[in-house]
Amino acid sequence: MASNKKVLLKVIILGDSSVGKTSLMNQYVNRKFSNQYKATIGADFLTKEVTIDDRTVTMQIWDTAGQERFQSLGVAFYRGADCCVLVFDVTAPNTFKSLDSWRDEFLIQAAPREPDNFPFVLLGNKVDLEPRAISAKRAQQWCQSKNDIPYFETSAKEGLNVEQAFLAIAKNALAQQNQTVDLYNEFPDQIKLTNTQRPSNGSDSCAC
Amino acid sequence: MHRISSGGHSTPPSVRRPILNFGRSLNTSSEDSTISRNNSPHIAKDYVESLHQNSRAALLFGKNNVHVMPLKAEVTEPMPGYLSLHQTPSGLTIKWTPNQLMNGFSDESQDKSVYWDFALQVRLDEIVYVHCHQDSEAGGTVILVGQDGVQRPPIHFPKGGHMLAFLSCLETGLLPRGRLDPPLWSQRSGTNSNTRRRRPLPALSETEETTKDYVFRIIDNSDHKDILKRKDLMDTKASLPSRVRVQLCSTSTSSESSSKSFSLDQQSVPDSPPSVYIQAVCDSMKKQIISRAFYGWLAYCRHLSTVRTHLSGLVNSKIINGDGASEGITLEKWTELCIDGVVSDYGEVYRQTYFGGICNELRTEIWPYLLGHYKFGSTTEQRKELDEETKQAYENTMSEWLAVEAIVRQRDKEDQAHAIAKLSSESASGEPVPKEIQRDLSNEVFEDEITDDEDSMSEEEKIQSRKSRRNTIKYESDEDQQLNDEDNAEINLVQISSDPEALPSSSNCDKNDEDAEGRSQELNDFIHNVIVTNASLDITNVETDGAPVRNHLDAVTEENNSSLDTCIETHGLASPGRSACVSPASSNGGIYSQELLKTFGLNLHRIEKDVQRCDRNYWYFANENLDKLRNVMCTYVWEHLDIGYMQGMCDLVAPLLVTFDDESLTYACFCHLMERMIENFPNGNAMDCHFANMRSLIQILDAEMYEQMHAHGDYTHFYFCYRWFLLDFKRELVYSDVFKTWEVIWAAQQVASSHFVLFLALALLETYRDIILSNGMDFTDIIKFFNEMAERHDVNAILKLARELVLQLQILIENK
Repeated sequence: MASNKKVLLKVIILGDSSVGKTSLMNQYVNRKFSNQYKATIGADFLTKEVTIDDRTVTMQIWDTAGQERFQSLGVAFYRGADCCVLVFDVTAPNTFKSLDSWRDEFLIQAAPREPDNFPFVLLGNKVDLEPRAISAKRAQQWCQSKNDIPYFETSAKEGLNVEQAFLAIAKNALAQQNQTVDLYNEFPDQIKLTNTQRPSNGSDSCAC
Repeated sequence: MHRISSGGHSTPPSVRRPILNFGRSLNTSSEDSTISRNNSPHIAKDYVESLHQNSRAALLFGKNNVHVMPLKAEVTEPMPGYLSLHQTPSGLTIKWTPNQLMNGFSDESQDKSVYWDFALQVRLDEIVYVHCHQDSEAGGTVILVGQDGVQRPPIHFPKGGHMLAFLSCLETGLLPRGRLDPPLWSQRSGTNSNTRRRRPLPALSETEETTKDYVFRIIDNSDHKDILKRKDLMDTKASLPSRVRVQLCSTSTSSESSSKSFSLDQQSVPDSPPSVYIQAVCDSMKKQIISRAFYGWLAYCRHLSTVRTHLSGLVNSKIINGDGASEGITLEKWTELCIDGVVSDYGEVYRQTYFGGICNELRTEIWPYLLGHYKFGSTTEQRKELDEETKQAYENTMSEWLAVEAIVRQRDKEDQAHAIAKLSSESASGEPVPKEIQRDLSNEVFEDEITDDEDSMSEEEKIQSRKSRRNTIKYESDEDQQLNDEDNAEINLVQISSDPEALPSSSNCDKNDEDAEGRSQELNDFIHNVIVTNASLDITNVETDGAPVRNHLDAVTEENNSSLDTCIETHGLASPGRSACVSPASSNGGIYSQELLKTFGLNLHRIEKDVQRCDRNYWYFANENLDKLRNVMCTYVWEHLDIGYMQGMCDLVAPLLVTFDDESLTYACFCHLMERMIENFPNGNAMDCHFANMRSLIQILDAEMYEQMHAHGDYTHFYFCYRWFLLDFKRELVYSDVFKTWEVIWAAQQVASSHFVLFLALALLETYRDIILSNGMDFTDIIKFFNEMAERHDVNAILKLARELVLQLQILIENK
């Protein structure tokens, strides 16, 4: 069916400033790390082609400013997102504490059709650094409380777990998009990646 | 064109009855419908001959055995006769002559004179409607209706398409001055693609089973005649249209529509004598050109009015030329401008800077003028004095926040230690953390554990703020006593601000509060006490957990009050109250409230995060100069805690610091710069204004680009310009170009436009216009494009274009 069509997955990376959003994105897309990244102003994005289940998709990864005051800009960038990546710094407790507000703000501004089922992925970054302030257990507990968000511990500096994390992000984003596409398939039973018991609201994103 | 029916003259008159009262004139319908019966035979002969083609009239159509029901009471059945259509100089005439007259003019005429009453002669210019009734059995009937609404006798055509042939000839004969509406032969007239008015007229052919009725209107294009009369008048004013037409083109009114409607008129008058026809067309063209020119001019006027309404505020009304300023301020020029250390011709400084920039050696000297720190006309001594004051104030302010920083750092350390302790105990046992540790954990971390109790949290916060207020009052009274002991305080101030990154004056203090662990027990006590005031919140937290720790906390509060006195005494932390540059926090609160510590701590962390990653690839910031940046930034935020640090501020400080390489001067100039820039940050409204102005500018000055932006996902919100405006293009350009751009922006305010950044943005867009348009860029494309183009722009070309755009708009507004 739509497997041959070019698929664009829009992924938004959010989190407090200096948790490593730009670094994660660059590590994943360009496989390099620099300690010379500047604070992101406004927004930038990188794209990367990935193959998931024999399907080539283009990931458009959006990197945004981390200071919460700039969240109001989000509305221009969050729209049409297929997945939201929340990042915190495992050595900085405050960045973990802000996750709720980042998640809430994203849901308000991106206004996905089904906020409860919108895919998020949590990344605990900078695991290469000591001392650690937020345990994996604590992060996982938070994830469980938010409808079982997948959690990865990463190090953008050392490239640890970055590939795996973004693959999961891509899969989640694709599943989200298929769900949307399914609503418009003439024969929705042919592809059934997840439960299709979703109300068919108006859609503005599709696979083409 | 001329059709003569091939039908034979076979049918004899079907009505042979004598008409008894032929003498009576019953011409009730119209006088031209009959011919006087008193015609002599030789007139009758002439008449019959006139029915044929001759020199005076062209025969367009002729058909015998056409039945007409004459308007005579005596006749009850339609009579057959000869129908002919003639074109004379005065117009078309339809004649019908009874067969009796046609056949027997050679016979004795007595018997036939009666038929003269029945003959019809109809001038077509009196006819307005042609009714056609078609019957597949009996052929077709045509009824002519005059302007007065009176019907002429029905003309009944025999079968065989004769009616259609007649109508066709009629339509042709009407041209060019008249026509049938709807046109009969619309599909025929368009041998090319002009078939848009195709009608189901083939149904007029008698193959159809059912009866078809049609009504045609005969349209006399007399308005064309009027135009012909007015022709001369127009020719005398021929210069007007051509002149206005230039403006028409300049406003790019679509010429497409005019040619379209022109061809439409052409179509409506086909197959006509060329001379008349071309004249009509020319007139029509002329009329359209004039009307379009008028509408073009009107549109142009409206355009100008729009420009004036929306854009006139964006540029200065006075146009200042750039003669002799292309070099900018060189060393030689500066010696002319700066006479004995006094610069009075500020207009020239601005003008030279705007058009040519400042040479690199002079930036340190001139930028403070442009930013408003130095006053034009000031003497060297005055400026030196100002520098000293600035430096003193800066150092005072620094000493204030450095003291707070020391407290914040100590708290951070403790928080971290507790967090780690908690983490290790958590991971080791999985049991709740011991109360003793939990109490001292930072609230922010602690809160996560009890998020389901949010209402009570806000209550706790109220309690906390109440308590800290009470404490603050206490501190003030303590401070009053302390203020008497200024000398003591000063000495100790030096001690506490012994940070490696501290102000130069205190750099003789070699101790580091982070490294030297057991350095000052008193300091630690003090810090501990400050934290303990925070424990008022912890009490409640612990209480919610049901832990009996009140006694302990009461004790701590006691200790708090007493030991704080000691602390102030020994460390002189009351010094802010004595400072020449009193900070808002210290002036009313004395010793720092929890709120202040929290706020400044938060800002401090943010500043450090951003300083650490500010232009590390630029040589200046590869080393200890980062500390200078941090100091300037912290000083600004300390003085503007209500604003706080916002990302991007470091980027604005950096070029100033690189230029001045002096913290206090950088700080002073940055404060001036921020007066304008602060409005761009999230709490201000300048960014939205910029976006709205960009919208107006592009819409009015480059409609094509605007249309594309609108069509490709509508990014006329202009969010892709966000970073440009927030940082005055600092991230878009390399350092040397940032310098050039910034000084032009500052000078532009006085020379050309206080919204020069808009024209820079417009210049950037226009520079890459072709790429943007040809690639049909959408929002993501344009963000990507400009992010990738960052630091690769040709700044001189862009500044030049931006200045030209300002001038263009100034001229547009000036030309009323």
